[in-house]
Parts: sequence; C-alpha cells; structure tokens
Amino acid sequence: MRTLPAWTITVLSVLLITAAWVGVTSGGLVRDLFLPGPLDVWSGLMELIDDGYKGRPLFLHVGMSLYRVGAGFVTGALVGTALGLGMGYMPKLNALAAPFIEFLRPLPQLAYLILLIIWLGIGETSKITMLFLAALPVSAIAARDGVANVPPERVRVAQALGASEWQIFRHVIFPSALPEILVGARLAAGIVYGTLIASEIIAGSSGIGWMVMDAGRFLRSDYVFVGIGMIGLAGIVIDQALLFIERRVVHWAGR
Amino acid sequence: MLNGFATRRAALLGAGATALTLPGHSRAATPATVNIGFFTETKPTMLAKGDGWFEAGTGGKLNWTEMGSGADINAAITAGSCDLGLSTGSAATAAGIAQGLPFKLIGMVDNIGPAEEMTVRTAAGIKTPADFKGKKVATPFGSTSHFRLLGFLKTNGLTQRDVTVLDMKAAAIVAAWSRGEIDAAYVWAPAKSKILADGGTVFPTYEALDKAGYVIADLIVVRDGFAEQYPDAVTGFIKAYGRALAMYLKDPNATADIVAKQAGVTPAVALSDMKEYDFVPLAEQATPAWLGGTPQDPGKFAHVLKGTADFLVEQRSIKSAPAVDAFQKATDTTYLKKALA
Amino acid sequence: MSDHAVRDAQIAPSAVPSRTCFRLRLKTDFMLGVLSVAVMLAGWWLLSAAGVVRRDLLPTPPDVWAAAVEVVTRGYRGTTLWENINATLGRLLGGFLAATLTGVPLGLWMGSSRTTNAAINWIIQFMRPLPPLSYMILLILWFGTGDLSKGMLLFLTAFPIIVASSAAGVRCVKLQRIQAARTLGAMPAAVFRHVTLPSAAPMILTGLQIALAAAFSTVVSAELLAATNGLGWMVISASTFLRNDIIILCIIILGLLGVTLAGLLRALDKWAIHWRGRD
Repeated sequence: MRTLPAWTITVLSVLLITAAWVGVTSGGLVRDLFLPGPLDVWSGLMELIDDGYKGRPLFLHVGMSLYRVGAGFVTGALVGTALGLGMGYMPKLNALAAPFIEFLRPLPQLAYLILLIIWLGIGETSKITMLFLAALPVSAIAARDGVANVPPERVRVAQALGASEWQIFRHVIFPSALPEILVGARLAAGIVYGTLIASEIIAGSSGIGWMVMDAGRFLRSDYVFVGIGMIGLAGIVIDQALLFIERRVVHWAGR
Repeated sequence: MLNGFATRRAALLGAGATALTLPGHSRAATPATVNIGFFTETKPTMLAKGDGWFEAGTGGKLNWTEMGSGADINAAITAGSCDLGLSTGSAATAAGIAQGLPFKLIGMVDNIGPAEEMTVRTAAGIKTPADFKGKKVATPFGSTSHFRLLGFLKTNGLTQRDVTVLDMKAAAIVAAWSRGEIDAAYVWAPAKSKILADGGTVFPTYEALDKAGYVIADLIVVRDGFAEQYPDAVTGFIKAYGRALAMYLKDPNATADIVAKQAGVTPAVALSDMKEYDFVPLAEQATPAWLGGTPQDPGKFAHVLKGTADFLVEQRSIKSAPAVDAFQKATDTTYLKKALA
Repeated sequence: MSDHAVRDAQIAPSAVPSRTCFRLRLKTDFMLGVLSVAVMLAGWWLLSAAGVVRRDLLPTPPDVWAAAVEVVTRGYRGTTLWENINATLGRLLGGFLAATLTGVPLGLWMGSSRTTNAAINWIIQFMRPLPPLSYMILLILWFGTGDLSKGMLLFLTAFPIIVASSAAGVRCVKLQRIQAARTLGAMPAAVFRHVTLPSAAPMILTGLQIALAAAFSTVVSAELLAATNGLGWMVISASTFLRNDIIILCIIILGLLGVTLAGLLRALDKWAIHWRGRD
C-alpha cells in the first residue's frame, strides 16, 4: 500500500480543519460571537492594523508585550545563570540558595504578581520583576546542573596542562555547561512569555494579552482570534529564534 | 413486619418526593437554582439580597456570582451560566442587544446621575478638562463609568493619546489611589467614596454628559431561556426589588443599615451613596418615559440604548448597532406590570 | 582526601564517590539551607517590625501566622481554608489527569505512526507556545463561568506538553533495541510493551512533570481571573480587602503545594523508572 508523504498528510489535515472552520461558521451553525469565520478574523486584522486598538496602534501593543518579555527574560536569565554557575561551583552557595530556588520554581507567578503590584505599583516594574523571578530559578538550575555534569576528566586534563582556575572555567566548564544553560534559557523564555500574557490579562492596560481580554469583554471574537493568533505566532518565533541561536552557538552539543 | 411496612412507606414517600422534583411537573414552575450575577453596591438591591427577599421571590436557591462589569454578565448569560443580571450597566446591555445576545431587559435599578462621577486627586490640580492632558485616569473598562469617561473625552476634544486611560477594577483603583499612582478615576460607590475620603475631589461631569446624551443606568436583565421556563420566578424577582425600593423610600436609614453591612461600608456612607442615585419607581419604569413603548414607537430608554450602542460602534467595542426598534423589542415590561398588579 | 578529589568535589559535586563524605556533606548542606531560610525570615521580620517597610505593606511573620490561625479557625469570607485548597487541587488534578489519560496514548500513537504524526503534530506544535490564559475568554464563552471552562483550560494546558513528550519518547527509542527484539521473534505488541514503552517512559514522565507545573501555574491564574473559591481566588479577594497578610499566607501555601506536587512526581519517577540514565 502506497502511503502519502508526510507533508501531504499535514497539508490535507490543515485543509480539512480549515474547511470545517469555514463550514461551521458560514453555515450559521455557530454564531460569529462564539466562533468567527476566517473572513471575520481577516477583516478584524485589517481593522486593527489600520486603526489600532482603543487609541493605540497595534504594533504598540505588540511592542509593549515584547519589551516586557525581553526585559524580564534577559535580566532573569542572566542573573539566574550567573547564580547557577556559582551554585554549581560552590556547594556551599548551592546549599544556601537552594531552598529559595526550589521554592520559587513551582510557585505560580501570577500569585505573587498581586503582591508585587501592591509593593511596586501598577506600572511596568511590578510585571518585569515578576518575569525576572519567573526566569531566575529555571536558569539557575540549568546552569547549576550544567556545571555539575561537566565530566571531571576534562577538568583534570586542563589541570594537568597547568591551566589556572579562571582558564578552566572559561575553556572547559563554561563551554561544557553551555548546552544545558541554553536549554534552560529557552525553557525560561517560554515560561516568561506565558506568564507575561497571563499578567496582561489579569492586571494590564496595554499589550497584546490585555487586548485579547478587552476585546473579549464585549465579545469581539474576531479581535480575540487575531490576538490569539498573534500571541501564538510570537511564541513560536521566540522559541524558534532561541533554538536557532542554541544550535549555532553550541554546535557541538550531543557529541 | 412493622419494619417492612415502614420501609415501603418511606419508599413511597421518597418516590413521591422525587416525582415532584422532576422537571416538567409544574404545579408552579419554580427553578431549583437561580444564577444571579450581581455587584457589591450601596443600593436597595443589597437589601433585597441580604434579607432574602430575592430568594423568596424566585422560589429557588440563589447562586450569587459577583461580577466585574456588565460585560461579564453578558458573557455569562450567553454561556448559559447566569440567569438574572442585577444592576448591569446600560453600556453592556446596549452592546448585548446590538449583538443579539439571548436576554431581555426587564427592569431598571436606577438612573445613574452623579452616583458615578470623575474623582480627581486634590493634589493633582486638575481644574479644567484641559488639565487632564498627561494625566492617568483609571476606570473599569466596559462599564457605564468607562462609557461616561469616553464621552467626557470626546465632548472635550481629548484623545486617549492626551490622557492615559487605565483599565482597572474598582478594588484595584482604590489600592492604586492610596499609593498615589493615579491622578483621577471614574468609578462608582463604594470605591468612589473611598477615594474621595483619601484626598479626592469630585470633578463634576455628569450634568453636561447627561445633556449631551450620555445617559447611563443600571438595569435588570433576564436570560431568554430562563424567562421562558420560569416566568413567575422572574416576576417574583422584580417584585422583591420593588419591595426593597419601597422600603428605601419609606425608611432610608433602616435600609442604609442593612445595605452598609452587605457592602462593607458605614451606614452613613451607604446613605449618602444611595442619595446620589435616581431610583425610578416600578410604575414609572413601565411608561414610555423609561422602558415602556412599542417597536413602532420606541420609548425614551430605547433611544438611550441606541445612542449608547452607536457610540460603542464608534469606539470599535462592537461591530454594528441595529435600528432603535430592536432595542425596544429586547425590552419586556410585562414582568414590571405583573409585579405591580 | 586527595587534592584531586577536593577539586572534583568543588567543581562537580555529584561526581564525588566517597560515601562518608557524601553523608557529611548532605548534613552540612541541610544545615546551611535551614540557616539560609532562618536568616531570610529574620531579615523579613526586622524590615517589617522596624518599620523600614510599612507594616501594612509587609506584615511580619507572626502577622502571617496569625492570619493562618484566623483562616483555619474562622475561615475566610465564608469559606474554609481546606475548601479553597481542595477547590484548587481538584481543578488541577482533574484537568491534569484527563490530559494524561488522553495525551499519553495519543502521543504514543503519534510517535509510532508517521501518518498520525503528520496529521496532528502541527496542531500540537501550535498549541504548545500559546499561553493558555489567552484563550480563556473563549472557553468561558463556550463552557460557562463554572468549573468546566477551568477544567478545559487546564486540560488544554497540559495536553500538548504531554502529547509532545510522549511522541518524542517513542521516537527516541533506539532502533537497535527494536530490531534486537524483533530478531528474537517478538510480535509488534510485545516489542511495544517491553521495548518502546520502557524506553519512552523517562521522557513521558519528564513531560508529565513539566505539564503539571504549567497546569499548576494556570489554575491559579484562572482563579485570579474568574472564580468564587480556590487559593487564587483567595489571593485576589484578599487584595480587594487590603489583607496583605492573607496574600502572603496564600503564596506560602501555594509554594509548599507546588514543591510537594513536584516532589511527588519526582519520587514517582525515581520509583517507577529505576532505569533512567542507564542508557
């Protein structure tokens, strides 16, 4: 039996779902409030591009969201990685910091956002601090594990060759740990992104997550779908970009 | 022997009781549970809630779900998880009717006059509309206050680029105000009273806005499916509200005591809050001056709703607004009339 | 200990072979951890009691303890603490279990069948980076404001993660193992049961752990947005009444719950998959 190539099946699957979508919505089976049709979503997108949303251009909302993600992720990942490297290097530091890292990691970020807003206000600081705290534990643990998993022979070889502590770190430990650090960074980025959108929905006045929530208020499902589509797309782009960087930088991973 | 007889009797009683609760067996169709969407507010509605009059009126067990805005009530009704919306804002109702959502407007809680108003931070030095430029104003989006605020901006030639409008729930507004983070807020009691007491001054807008046609009101809506099944419960609900309203008009202080407890404020605050609302009596509500009228000759409030919907279309909050008769069609005064009978 | 061993212990603690050293280190680590937390508590207490940070913004640890007692004995706004914890856990476990029971089989199928994978993978890959709260509003519209929409939300949060990791687990099974089993005369079903499944199990369980963490975060977000009970609801409700002590209490409870759940899954992982890492 001849089987179709994989990509054909995927295309067929996409077409099938799209046809179902069009059929259900244009056939009047479902109200456009519940499920807008492709044309509704498209016209909604055009409107948003032309006129913006509630007085601000669309790219501004997207930009605000991306800015928050960037600020929180970069600060959290950098500090977290540094901390994790330290934790991996110095077991004492690990013992001191571990309770906080292990407590912070599974803690739902949105819960302490409420507290951060009370302490730091309704502006950007509270959200970015929350995102910082969301990225920190994952990056720290990844870096720590990365250091811990460095094969000791490599270190011994470097020592035998007379390398200094710093040289060992720079040329052996750090590169060996880098794959895990970057995987941790990608994981952290995903968490930060999801948390950011949630925070805009729960306590926001701008950004793409807030736009979805606000449009949903008066059941403007077409805008909601556009927003969700953009959120999904941005998430994929961020993930793929980090994956690309990971593959380029640590091209030796897996060997 | 005696045991067997008792068991059989119990079984018969049990079967009988079950049969009575089966749907369709309507000696008087009373719902088992009623889902009510409400707001914690300083109004006689809280009296009827607190003293169980609503419960008695509908005959079923009431599930009180607190909502953030009328828009939440719209969504809940559409999803079927809310049967009656109490004190839902006219902005959300207008939007809902324009979108053909499955509910009917059956009564009015109040006509909002100065009760929802702009409050500015005394220290911010805002004396004229132009002073709002560069300031931060908070309001719950999708509410009647938001509607009034947008109307205020429009009638004074301000845009949302001049004035930063923040979307915050009433409780968050109070908290942000106490931290000095916002310069002004357009909101209702009890939040309004709290921020007024915390270094706030009233910035009067409602008279000008009322004249410009930005009339807002708090309304009672019922889900179509629920009304069809349990019309008597709906009438009972309206009657209970009428009773609370009558008690307020007769003895405002006693009413304020009960309302204050429900809303978490002092009776004095509750009393002064209630004075700011225009509680239209049930009899007057049924006239064309408010909800009464026919699709061929719509009443005044149908026009108010139409104007509201048109403004919302302008704001891109909804896609389109139907002609004014649709708003009258979505209004059903029969429950008012039955409650008065 | 020799010089090299000391160096090794400093750089790669997990590589230290000596058992006595290991136990001693464990004890020191634990004491250091306790010390660290104690210092943090003391610092917190000091900041608040000395008025460096306003007491209403940052209640002291005893204040939070008093709030805990209050909530346990008198409840919170008509709900008991147990009720709220139950509500949150119930939603979480309901959605998570539903996702596991449907996601693992689907993932296994996708990993084994190229056709199924080609047909469905694109949906899974689109769902994965999509923050679940972003489509919450649609779920509320379709399923109402009650627990069903929240359950769907949690299901949709955990499902793509579990499916993706299960499929990846199957795909990563070393081909030689399957071929070896086949040459020994095993039927496809037996190959699946004795080779594929155990080889995929580590990745499946990792996926479950990640999914549980994501679902836990999501359930709290959903309760912050639209709920009448649960720990997330308690946080948002306490914030409207300016009860920061209750907020901090809930955060601590949530943290402990999170650590416990993660720990339970990790223990399950260790117990069930004793062959992890021995590739």
